[in-house]
Amino acid sequence: MKLKSFRFRIAILSALLAGTAIAGFSGITYLLFYQSRLNILDNEIKDQLSRESSSSRPLGHWQTYEKIQASFFGDQTQQTNALLVISDGKTIHQSQNWQTDFNPESLFASLPELSNLPNLQLPSLNQTQSPNNPPLTRRPPPPRPDRESSRGMPENPPAPSFEQPPPEDRPPVAAPQFISSLVTRKTSTGSWRMGTAVSPFVKIAIAVNLKVIDREMSAIQNVFLISMPLTLLLMMLGAWLLSGSALKPIKHLTETIRRVNAKGLNQRTSITDLDTEFVELVQVFNQMMERLERSFLQASRFSSDAAHELKTPLAILQGELELALQNAETGSPMQQTLSTLLNEVSRLSSITRKLLLLSLADAGKMSVQKIELNFSQILYEITEDIGILAPDLSLKLDILPDVKILGDRELLTQVLQNLINNAIKYNLPNGWIHIQTKLKSNSLMVTISNSSQDISSSDRDRLFDRFHRADPARNRGIEGFGLGLSLSREIAIAHNGNLQLDQTNQGCTSFTLILQRNALN
Amino acid sequence: MNVLYVEDEEKIANFVCIGLKEQGFVVDYCANGNDGYAHALEFEYDAIILDIMVPGKDGLAILKGLRKEGNSTPVILLTARNELDDRLTGLNLGADDYIAKPFFVEELIARIHAVVRRVSGDHQNILTVPPLKLDRLTREVTCHQEVIELTSREFNLLEYLMRSPGRVFTRTQILEHVWGYDFNPNTNLIDVCIQRIRKKIEKVGGEECLESVRGVGYRFRKPQNP
Repeated sequence: MKLKSFRFRIAILSALLAGTAIAGFSGITYLLFYQSRLNILDNEIKDQLSRESSSSRPLGHWQTYEKIQASFFGDQTQQTNALLVISDGKTIHQSQNWQTDFNPESLFASLPELSNLPNLQLPSLNQTQSPNNPPLTRRPPPPRPDRESSRGMPENPPAPSFEQPPPEDRPPVAAPQFISSLVTRKTSTGSWRMGTAVSPFVKIAIAVNLKVIDREMSAIQNVFLISMPLTLLLMMLGAWLLSGSALKPIKHLTETIRRVNAKGLNQRTSITDLDTEFVELVQVFNQMMERLERSFLQASRFSSDAAHELKTPLAILQGELELALQNAETGSPMQQTLSTLLNEVSRLSSITRKLLLLSLADAGKMSVQKIELNFSQILYEITEDIGILAPDLSLKLDILPDVKILGDRELLTQVLQNLINNAIKYNLPNGWIHIQTKLKSNSLMVTISNSSQDISSSDRDRLFDRFHRADPARNRGIEGFGLGLSLSREIAIAHNGNLQLDQTNQGCTSFTLILQRNALN
Repeated sequence: MNVLYVEDEEKIANFVCIGLKEQGFVVDYCANGNDGYAHALEFEYDAIILDIMVPGKDGLAILKGLRKEGNSTPVILLTARNELDDRLTGLNLGADDYIAKPFFVEELIARIHAVVRRVSGDHQNILTVPPLKLDRLTREVTCHQEVIELTSREFNLLEYLMRSPGRVFTRTQILEHVWGYDFNPNTNLIDVCIQRIRKKIEKVGGEECLESVRGVGYRFRKPQNP
């Protein structure tokens, strides 16, 4: 599916890109965070293991220890931690939470049996073991003197981890002690992180439910889930607004071009407060309009000047011919010739007048002398002629009586005559003409339709072109210059109206003239 | 009737003057606006015909000057340009009528008569050419005291021909004037209309007065010495 709106595409695309990036980053952040939480948990477990196994404890100690153990792992319910203590092959303490499938034996098995060791070569032991069991991060547990003291436990220097015992932390007499690497066990009550320790005193296994971490992680997840769509939405909105403002000059240009269509070529777009990227486009556009306007004005002025210049010689010709006509012998061949010449001069005058009107209309200067007219009366008078001009046509009139409008009588008469003449000229033998007037809110619609041959669609488009006549071969016998319709339309437009060719059924042509009534009753 | 005619185009002035004189006008002709203005102020005229585009003071300036001086002689403007703005300005400045070039002298004469009538208050609404009598105001035509019913087109046509008895009008001329049509020579509109008028006159016993001039057009027969 192709999205039509460029703006929309930009918004979607930027949201998509940003979304992918954010999702990627949050994924990585999430993982890293999880990892670091796990490390902290691991360290804490190791810390506990190493401390609890470092010395011999009384039997009752484990009960108490388990109770306070929970607080080390950030939980008070004791549901999330489990403890197993084995001494001399006997389980001396097992939490209620302890799951049978923790299977600590495998971990204990990975640790050396201390009792079998005659001398404590601890580091070497560990080194033999580490390759099969790659340790997670093992750090010596940080000393926590405050916590130890608060629990009232005997001051016990933390046993050094056998790996990298910081020399300064090494106690003078170290009890041998092994801590397994930590593993995750999946059980019916969730995943547990478990570690074991072996010392000459006890074997301890501590398991902590990963719920502790999951709870925190799900909070972070929620933050992500809420903030991500919100960010994307903001991103989209931002992109939408930004692209909108970026497209503003284009919108501006479109409006200018629309104004050009409506008002004429003298429209320009201002280049002040434009982004630099658009300045050139607008400048070029303005220059183009400048050139267009100039050449258009030139053409318009030329035809206006030409028409104007033709008027005087035509006036002279017409006057002299008329004089000669009156003086010639009545009915003589000379008089007939003069009459023919006079007709031709009239034809020239008519074309000149129309060209002048058209050039005035082009320049937007066709001013109409508006007076109150009884439009119905004018229409009736013209329709009177149809019966004389074309007696074989059947005529149907639906003319509203006494419709008054403001308009130029001469020009509107010309329009109506032109339309009716066309309806007669391009009619079929024994055809029909239908003239109808309608009032629609403030406009008057005059529809003149007639039977005719179909107008081809190419002709439909060009009907209002100047000097265009449908099918030149067919209509050679029909008089006219092909200026009538284009002039009629200009006259209608000068009256704030329009003239249009209607969509009709076959065998029928219909024009509608729309005129504003200009708030006249 | 005395008229002043200001026009720079000598060839136009030539036939206009001839046409006017034929109709019994006394014409003072000036080719220059300044002369025209001086004449207009100095002499009494029944009407002044002003071309708008003349050297010196142009037509509109002359008109403005005259009206400022309190001279109310009827003025007809001749506009070479078909620009309505000029006409409107002219009418606003106090012109009585305007006529666009190219025009028929006949038309000019009719307009002069009309403005003079209007200004003098002499309402010569009745046009009498035997055997017909035509009332422009009531739009009634009578022949031997009998009213002839005419359509508005027929009335206008008859009035146009009756204004200048004996003068030949071509079909184009009639079409342009009576119908306001553009050039359209292939129409029998006028012939049909003339036939109808003739029949209506005949019906009331009027003698033949609309003459066809072969190959040219029509004219109203000049009454024999009354």
